[in-house]
Amino acid sequence: MSSEEILIEAAAAAFRARNPAGEILPSSAWMDLDAEGRVAAHDVAARSRLLEAALDPDGLSSTARAVLLRIAGAGR
Amino acid sequence: MDDLDVHLPGIVAGEPEAFTRWLAGAERSLRQSLRSFASRLDTEALLQETLLRVWQVAPRAVPDGAGNSLLRLGLAIARNLALSGLRRARTDPVAIDVLEREANDTSPFEPALPDPLLRDLIEHCVHRLPRQPALALRLRLETSGSEPDDSLARRAGMKLNTFLQNFGRARKLLAACLAERGLPAGSW
Repeated sequence: MSSEEILIEAAAAAFRARNPAGEILPSSAWMDLDAEGRVAAHDVAARSRLLEAALDPDGLSSTARAVLLRIAGAGR
Repeated sequence: MDDLDVHLPGIVAGEPEAFTRWLAGAERSLRQSLRSFASRLDTEALLQETLLRVWQVAPRAVPDGAGNSLLRLGLAIARNLALSGLRRARTDPVAIDVLEREANDTSPFEPALPDPLLRDLIEHCVHRLPRQPALALRLRLETSGSEPDDSLARRAGMKLNTFLQNFGRARKLLAACLAERGLPAGSW
C-alpha cells in the first residue's frame, strides 16, 4: 500500500478532532493529500459508511454515530 | 420514495431516536451532495457539521407538503457550509461558481436505507477476513468515529501505518467478496 493510499484510509475515517470552540476540524491526513487523493478519500468514506450502516442494527454509519454522540453530550 | 419527514415531529420534540431514524435514511444523500467540493474541503467534517446543524434548526423546519423537507433543508445547509468554507479558504470566485454549478447539476437525491440482504452478505464476508484486517475493521466499527486511529492502533498493538494498511485491506477484501457474490462496488 502506498503512502498516499494510507493517507486516504486515514482521511476516510469518521473521527474528527475539535478545537476548543467545538468546531469540527479537517483531518490532518486530508490536509496532506492532493486534490485527487481528497476526492478518493471522499469516495472511500462513502463506500465505508454504506458497509458500516449495513452492519449496524440501527442502520447507522460511524459518521452518524459520531454526530449522535456529540448531540448526546451537547443537547440542542 | 420514502419520506423522512415522518420522523420530523419526534425530531422537533427533541427525541434522539427520531433523529437516529432520519439519519439512517438521509446521510447517503447529504454525503453525495458534497462530492463536487471534495477536492477543496474535508467533506467528512462538513457532513458532521451539517448534521449537527440540522438537529439544531429542525424545530424551526416547516414541511411544505412536497416530502423530505428536512432532508432538503439539510442539503441547503450542506451547500451553504461548503460555499462558506470555500470563501474562508479564499478560493477563486470563478472556481466557487464552477463547483456550485457542479453541485447543482447533481441528480436529485432520495433517502436510502441499508438493504438487509447486503447486511447478510457483508457479515458473511467479514467472517472470512484474516485476523489482523478483521481486528482493524472491528475497532473502527466499535468506536464509531469517537476515537482517532492512533488510539485504535495502540489498542490493536499495531503501528498506525500497519493499522491503516490492515483497515484498507479489510475494506478491499470485503468489496472483493461482495463482488464475487454479484454485488460490485457500484451496486451498493
